[in-house]
Amino acid sequence: MKRVAVIGTGQTKHTKARDDVTQSELVREATTRALADAGITIHDVDAVVLSNMELFEGRALPEMWVGEGAGGYRKPVMKIATGGTSGTSACIAGYHQCASGLFDIVLVVGWEKHSEGATQTGMALTDPLWDRNVASGAVGNFALSISQYVAERGVTPQQAAKVAVKARRNAARNPYAHLQMDGITVEKVLESRMLADPIHLLDMCPQSDGACAVIYAAEDRAPKLCPRPAWVRAAVTRHDQPYIGDLDRRLVTMRTLRDAAREAYQRVGITEPLKEIDVAEIYEPVSYAELAWYEALGFCAEGEAGRLIDDGITEMNGELPVNPSGGVLSTNPVGASGVIRVAEAVMQVMGRAGDHQVPDARLALATGYGVYAWSDVIILSTG
Amino acid sequence: MTELLRVSHTMTLSWRYGTSWYFAEFIRALRDERRLLGLRCPVCRRVYLPPRPVCGNCYAELREWVEVKDSGTVRAFTIVHTPIIDPTSGQLRPTPYGMALIQLDGADTTLNHYLAESNPAKIRIGMRVQAVWREERRGTLSDIVHFVEMNNQTMNDEQ
Amino acid sequence: MNNDTMNNDGFITAGVNLSFNYAAGEAASRFLIALRDEKKIWGTRCPACQRVLVPARSFCPRCFVDTGEWVEVGPAGTVSAFAPLSPLLPGEGLGVRVGLALIHLDGADTALAHFIGEADAPRIGLRVVAVFAESRSGHILDIAYFKPTER
Repeated sequence: MKRVAVIGTGQTKHTKARDDVTQSELVREATTRALADAGITIHDVDAVVLSNMELFEGRALPEMWVGEGAGGYRKPVMKIATGGTSGTSACIAGYHQCASGLFDIVLVVGWEKHSEGATQTGMALTDPLWDRNVASGAVGNFALSISQYVAERGVTPQQAAKVAVKARRNAARNPYAHLQMDGITVEKVLESRMLADPIHLLDMCPQSDGACAVIYAAEDRAPKLCPRPAWVRAAVTRHDQPYIGDLDRRLVTMRTLRDAAREAYQRVGITEPLKEIDVAEIYEPVSYAELAWYEALGFCAEGEAGRLIDDGITEMNGELPVNPSGGVLSTNPVGASGVIRVAEAVMQVMGRAGDHQVPDARLALATGYGVYAWSDVIILSTG
Repeated sequence: MTELLRVSHTMTLSWRYGTSWYFAEFIRALRDERRLLGLRCPVCRRVYLPPRPVCGNCYAELREWVEVKDSGTVRAFTIVHTPIIDPTSGQLRPTPYGMALIQLDGADTTLNHYLAESNPAKIRIGMRVQAVWREERRGTLSDIVHFVEMNNQTMNDEQ
Repeated sequence: MNNDTMNNDGFITAGVNLSFNYAAGEAASRFLIALRDEKKIWGTRCPACQRVLVPARSFCPRCFVDTGEWVEVGPAGTVSAFAPLSPLLPGEGLGVRVGLALIHLDGADTALAHFIGEADAPRIGLRVVAVFAESRSGHILDIAYFKPTER
């Protein structure tokens, strides 16, 4: 198995609607930026992995129709669609392809064009025998789990709102982020429309149009192509039972994230994540989730997540900045969101994160979250 | 600046999902006898309702049916404010509405279903609830209209 | 609207209507507007391989570079592939359209998939010309079909 590093990233400015481009053209934007960042051409790419939730835009086989936008012509192309984890799963698949020694340079591109989609398509995600009987949508479904988490771990709406504020204020320093609300406050979050108790509008992630690409190179190519590559130190995936009624207290235990993180930390030799990790880009679909992820990732003990946000430990100037990019709460083209986590973690390690750079970031964590409880954990570092 | 066009398409899709022996038996008991049945794992003894063919934790096949009551305990809840199309009626479900994960007496998993109550101040985790059944059952989980708090149970479905 | 029903024969049927709105993007919008407003068909040329791509598009997928020059093509062309249409149901009329074809428009290097109409003997090699619809909206079916031509 070869060591693999990311040598370049590229993304589009994520927005509510990109009327000016097709899905192919959107993907091409991110792809050409990543190629430029990596200093290579499309002809240097050996394989392409795409990430997209085709269901949302009603476009089957996006790897065929949109693959050309990622330079897929006459190359091996595969598509991954695993809900919110699509992007991180695709990044892990691309890493596997490169680590296998079969491909030297692998391009991974994720995208979504929610402005083209129909909101009812989400219905097709529910199990037709049982769960489809009870209408609630993704927000209602998540709100159920939050009620258990709040009851057992005691986090408050104010603490959740602080997560939402942190995200949008960070995003104001990220030129690619969709939502940039420099003036957002805890009060504004709590005054915003209630979607499903206790989730307010501003607690929730948006739906965006956008694309993001990363390029992997195997160990014999990476240092020649990139002065400071971001080496993949661990890439772990865990899935779980599909029904939230069977997953006992989903957010409280979050066993997939817990298990994936434990294995990833073991691989890298991390024993104190809060101290040893310099920056984290974690996939948080709603503010409360980020608090649950702090505990599952071992940043703090169970019941301590509220204190972590209250004490500013995960702010930009805190001990472990979480989501300097603004996270999923600020930008959410679902097929791209997981790739953005990896790309942003890479940018931190490479020192290319501009106004939202965490000083001296050398070890970065990226996570993906999807469907009901799937988790991906990826760790990158400078050496 | 170019005039930017959008091309619209409407897809009418329909599907026909095959069900299985455990679904058929569960639905039969629900529709014909107004009984709820769960399946017990031979290894961890967990009772699954709705029923599954395999225990997700043990990988063991589930074959033992267990009687489950139509009363239970709220383990999670929310009040939904965003209107969404109810798949069983094809109509927008009026908001706000209460929804919960309910652990029915005799089961170890929870059932996602509606609550009659839509005031969050009147709902709490640990609350005891009772199913309200439709007059005529068609053989679907929607034959339970919703769950009400047990001390406020109405008489409308009692026999 | 959705409607799940229990058939009680071992199947659950479910249905839904979904509407999608795809952005055409700048290049395709310009192409479609030319169909609507000018009854003209445009392609774009790749500066690397020199091929003229129809419908017009913003980049060449083979060379992965931006296309440059806009080139008017057609309205006549040659059929390079053909498949007859048949009604799916008895009595279902097809109108004048008799088949699907790939049409190599004069000046283009790619073929356009579209309908053939008013043709008694459609075949590969047939010379055809675009017939534009009376009412046009900026849609590929602003060309109603291609019909045989002498030239």
